[in-house]
Amino acid sequence: MFEEPFRWMEAIATRHSYVQEKLKTGQPVLAVPFNEGALILSFTRQPGKIFEVYDRIALGGLGHPADVERLRMTLLDMAHLEGFNRSDKDVTIARLLQFGVAPALKQNFEEIQRAPYLAKLLLVEISFDNRPSFFRLNYDGHWETFKKGAVISGQNEESDWMDKKISKTNFSAMPLDEALREACKIWEAGKKQIPVNKDDPEAEKPTPLSKAFDLFLLEVGVLSTAGGRKSLYRSLTKQETDTLKATYKHK
Amino acid sequence: MNRSPSKIEGPGDFIDLLQRSGYAWCPSVNKLESVDTSKLLQGTTVLAFHFNKGVIVAGDRRATAGNAIMYERCDKVIPIDDHSLMAIAGVPATAFEMARILSHNFEYFRRSQLQPLSTEGKIRALSKLLKDNMGLALQGVGAVSPIFSLYDIKEKKASIYFYDMLGAQFEIKTHTATGSGSPVIRGVLEYEDLWGAKPLAKRTLEEATLLAVRLLQTAAQFDSATGQARPEDQIYPIIASITERGYRFFPEDEMADLFEKSMKRN
Repeated sequence: MFEEPFRWMEAIATRHSYVQEKLKTGQPVLAVPFNEGALILSFTRQPGKIFEVYDRIALGGLGHPADVERLRMTLLDMAHLEGFNRSDKDVTIARLLQFGVAPALKQNFEEIQRAPYLAKLLLVEISFDNRPSFFRLNYDGHWETFKKGAVISGQNEESDWMDKKISKTNFSAMPLDEALREACKIWEAGKKQIPVNKDDPEAEKPTPLSKAFDLFLLEVGVLSTAGGRKSLYRSLTKQETDTLKATYKHK
Repeated sequence: MNRSPSKIEGPGDFIDLLQRSGYAWCPSVNKLESVDTSKLLQGTTVLAFHFNKGVIVAGDRRATAGNAIMYERCDKVIPIDDHSLMAIAGVPATAFEMARILSHNFEYFRRSQLQPLSTEGKIRALSKLLKDNMGLALQGVGAVSPIFSLYDIKEKKASIYFYDMLGAQFEIKTHTATGSGSPVIRGVLEYEDLWGAKPLAKRTLEEATLLAVRLLQTAAQFDSATGQARPEDQIYPIIASITERGYRFFPEDEMADLFEKSMKRN
């Protein structure tokens, strides 16, 4: 079946289309810096999109939960073994991706007899000199790095718009609460960039923030250098979430 | 196939992950040969007691090998996670390795299972490491006698556990001490708790830390393997508290003030 190169390329192209179609309905994940670290957030129908990977690394996933989970566990295992056998300073996202997950993911994607991973990952890291870095890992093993923040989404229009908006916003000067509000605004505006199919009466309309808190669960992971702890990750407290929620309920 | 209990753990067990990667925590007893124990680093005083907000854990800084003083800045109180500390007495190589395994074990469980390991699970984890280390302990080359202190956020309760070298654990309601200098101060701790100005568990953080410094100075007076503070070289005991907010080590500048204050008669 694949003796001709064209057949193989066609199979790969079909595979891309298949995965992209599957990821289209996924809720986007945004990661941005703030003045004491970085935050990663997503509105989600089911909990389980934002995770801690290691002392200074957090992860957001989009796609099939089982595939996100497999990738998350691979990253966790690698990070902890490396941190134990060498040092926590040797655990970096670049190394985890470059020498671990990315080549395996690419190989998996190109072995067309195997089921592809239906997942994209967004990773955030705070370096030991307290500078945030952002990484996006695609389902085919391709990965990119960003300095000002990044987003993963199943919709190109949405992610392109959000990426531009994030890169133009000076998040790194903002305190956590302000960065959180701005990131939520970008999420809301980004949703409006997805073309609506007017012929489809069941097409989902963009959700305003005032309704998003009722329809979705807001998951936020914060990597903060302010606490003086070895492990920088924490989830947003209920009080912080309620304060944020109240901001939009009153509008 | 010989499977130790730690090899058949469920998900979230870091020791299992380590063993699958080829790591061996300790050799089996029958492969061991005798070792000249006088050349091993050991000798210590570490202590822990309850105060009104949690637990105080303290230790001297000296590491010895036989009669030789090898190091005067050894940190014998080691953070395991945000709410637990291990104070070590015995062979540092084994103790530090145990602390590193435990630390990774607790964090790996919390991150992979998306919930913290229970207090009982944490206490048991150290017990298992000590039991697996029995061969080295019996041979005299890897004996460790730790004090494990932690704060359970759900229960809002601080606990201290003393372990013997084979892994038996004992919950301590008031105070404990271990290491070569500990016999000198155990009586003082008991006296202070029963007939001091107030019971140890009712003392404030400052009162508790002042007592801890004095106890370590006393131990150093009588035990050559316990190091005295040397303010001229900025060497002070290591002291940490664990409360609802997690552990906190006293930084060097605070220790300098604390030491000066503690050396004055009340």
